[in-house]
Amino acid sequence: MSQSDRSSRCPFTTLQTACQQTTSQKTKPQKTKPQQADDRQAGHPPTDPPSPAHAERRRFLKGASLTGLGLGLGFTGLGGACPARALAATGHGEDVTSAPQQQDAELRYPFHGEHQQGIVTPRPATGMLVAFDVLARDRDDLEKLMRVLTERIAFLTQGGRIPERDPLFPPPDSGTLGPVIAPDGLTVTVAVGDSLFDERYGLASARPKRLQRMEGFPNDALDAARCHGDLALQICANTLDTGYHALRDIIKNTPGLLMVRWKQEGTVPLLPPAPGDIDGSARNFLGFRDGSANPDGDDEALMDELVWVGRDHDEPAWAQGGSYLAARIIRNFVERWDRTPLNEQETIFGRRKMSGAPLSDGAAEGREQDVPDYTLDPEGKITPLDAHIRLANPRTPATEKNRILRRPFNYSNGVEANGQLDMGLLFLCFQADLEAGFITVQRRLDGEPLEEYIKPVGGGYFFVLPGARDDNDYLGRSLLAATA
Amino acid sequence: MKIPKPCKTSKTWIAAGTLGLLSVTATAQAAVAPEALVGPVADYKLYVLDNLEQLVTHTEDFTAAIEAGDLAKAKALYAPTRVYYERIEPIAELFADLDVSIDAREDDYEQGVEDPDFTGFHRLEYGLFHDASTDGMKTYAQGLMADVEELDSRVQALTFPPETVVGGAAALMEEVAATKISGEEDRYSRTDLWDFQGNVDGAREIFELFRPLAAQEDADFVARVEDNFDDVEKTLADYRLDPDDPQAGFESYDEVSDADRRALTGPVTVLAEDLSTLRGLLGLN
Ligand code: HEM
Repeated sequence: MSQSDRSSRCPFTTLQTACQQTTSQKTKPQKTKPQQADDRQAGHPPTDPPSPAHAERRRFLKGASLTGLGLGLGFTGLGGACPARALAATGHGEDVTSAPQQQDAELRYPFHGEHQQGIVTPRPATGMLVAFDVLARDRDDLEKLMRVLTERIAFLTQGGRIPERDPLFPPPDSGTLGPVIAPDGLTVTVAVGDSLFDERYGLASARPKRLQRMEGFPNDALDAARCHGDLALQICANTLDTGYHALRDIIKNTPGLLMVRWKQEGTVPLLPPAPGDIDGSARNFLGFRDGSANPDGDDEALMDELVWVGRDHDEPAWAQGGSYLAARIIRNFVERWDRTPLNEQETIFGRRKMSGAPLSDGAAEGREQDVPDYTLDPEGKITPLDAHIRLANPRTPATEKNRILRRPFNYSNGVEANGQLDMGLLFLCFQADLEAGFITVQRRLDGEPLEEYIKPVGGGYFFVLPGARDDNDYLGRSLLAATA
Repeated sequence: MKIPKPCKTSKTWIAAGTLGLLSVTATAQAAVAPEALVGPVADYKLYVLDNLEQLVTHTEDFTAAIEAGDLAKAKALYAPTRVYYERIEPIAELFADLDVSIDAREDDYEQGVEDPDFTGFHRLEYGLFHDASTDGMKTYAQGLMADVEELDSRVQALTFPPETVVGGAAALMEEVAATKISGEEDRYSRTDLWDFQGNVDGAREIFELFRPLAAQEDADFVARVEDNFDDVEKTLADYRLDPDDPQAGFESYDEVSDADRRALTGPVTVLAEDLSTLRGLLGLN
């Protein structure tokens, strides 16, 4: 990658000339958005305390700028970031959980940066979480592992020609993508589990404060074979083939250092671009749009508050720029769900199934981006008090800090002994504070009506390492240095 | 004879654990002179024949115990007999029909244990350790004896292909990685560590025979493989019932801690990865 590629921080090298002026750390095209318009969109009373609506997804405006591409260029010129052309090249709606719209094999995210990719990066059509036991025998081995991971991910995410070797030897690349690897929107995000901080590598004093072993919640039926891990990789790409290729490359390059413990892959449906539905959230296997109320991944201040560990987060200094990942494999009882009346389904979530709009009292169906105002509905006549979205986010000033960035994928694993489909949600969410985030939200959800249709069976908590700054840096360097 | 140095870069990448784009280049083929392989291959055939002889004698005792209805003795002889088979698997497997009737596992059959085609060591294991009885085992015992003798005579007549011999080291480590670490090979007798050691012995024998040739090509590689073999054997030794008597065998696989299973996985995977390059290193196709 050339110097200009890197400094531009534009993920789309094919659009290089259009993307020279980027000033921000952002990893995707950035926009300026008029704040009032957003509030108006949200139908929010001006007297309210700062509420999620302000910081919530602004994609409907972004969507507008995307539809009017001619307008887009001038509009975004202000931000100095990649213009709308680049946005179009992502083949993606603009938010983290917008439904992916098309596949661009040349989509390339820069590897280096303050943060790792794969968190505020728009979610592509496929993703997997792979948890490993670390076999490294000592700290030197561990450092070697981190360097190899960094080197492999830097190569795989940027793509290029695979190496050749004397044909008497096993080929160095699995060859599953042919002689030239396209970046294909690949991101590989490296995170560590709390078991890595045990006695083996002398890291105990640097353990992120909220990192812990995942405990079962009341509705869980955890399968030990699909829980925890010393290290986890979140591998996302336009196609599963690209993800599997990356995984096999990493396994081949880390013999004696890593052993796969469990893996779960998933997908989200592509949404063909359509006027009027330019940026809807992808649907999950219960048929609902998932991600509607996600915090806006483009809002850097908000991400610094909710997702990235920073100076104010009471964590070890080495951890700044990292984030907590909560991963859960949540089985969905889809046959049973499909035998549940629509009204009940909608009441369980608190949203309309087709549009994704929050429930409202009027007959008119709202829009997905509408923000429910629970202050007008204290008894839960419109949105039941135990509706999934109301428990998950009661939208009070006190619960603002519990917001999380969700990035889930739908999985389908085969058939259970009873003939029912083994399908569900690979729930992935990121937050700067695991306890204020996932754990608190899940505790509020404990006992929710949705539980009748879901069963968490696996997962784990991990800490996403800060990004690798440049070619001389490697993932995990700050952690090892902090305990040297 | 001058041996060109092939694959300079290809040898270091696994050691370094990285195959960075530039670290592997296409290189000229290694050129160990074919006649240099004759000695080690002949020595390996002797090793195999020696183990086969042991396999035949031990199988005689094992099957005799079954036919005599001596359950305790039959159980005690199960693992010490198999180990000779496990050592020479790369050659034994060349005869697929016999390998199936001697060493298939119930998982290889759709009907599992009930499958009428399921015979050999693991069928006997099921009878002796699961059913705790020699009832109905006589036919399987006789079948096993006949198969082992047949194997012996076929191998006597076999010309050993050098690439099979050299590739055997990697094949044995693949066996370990695929079925020994998980403890699924001897699920009723829990004598997996015997087989584990048998596979490792067999792989190491091959490696040692070709070591001088490999060392000419890549001394680091040889040192690393030695280290990893030592590591595996050290962990296995912790589970020996009597450190001074190899014949005393091993503790049950149930006793192997999770930490040790992980500790074994590391060097076993590196050995599988490294030994997969041995053929190329010696210029064998
Ligand atoms: C299979 C399990 C789950 C399904 C099918 C599911 C589905 C949904 C749906 C359809 C929505 C509404 C649209 C949206 O805003 O995204 C939603 C919202 C949400 N869910 Fe879940 N969810 C599941 C599990 C969880 C878990 C485990 C958590 C966290 C512990 C969670 C946290 C949230 C949050 C925070 C919201 C947004 C609420 C808001 O801000 O209005 N969900 N979920």
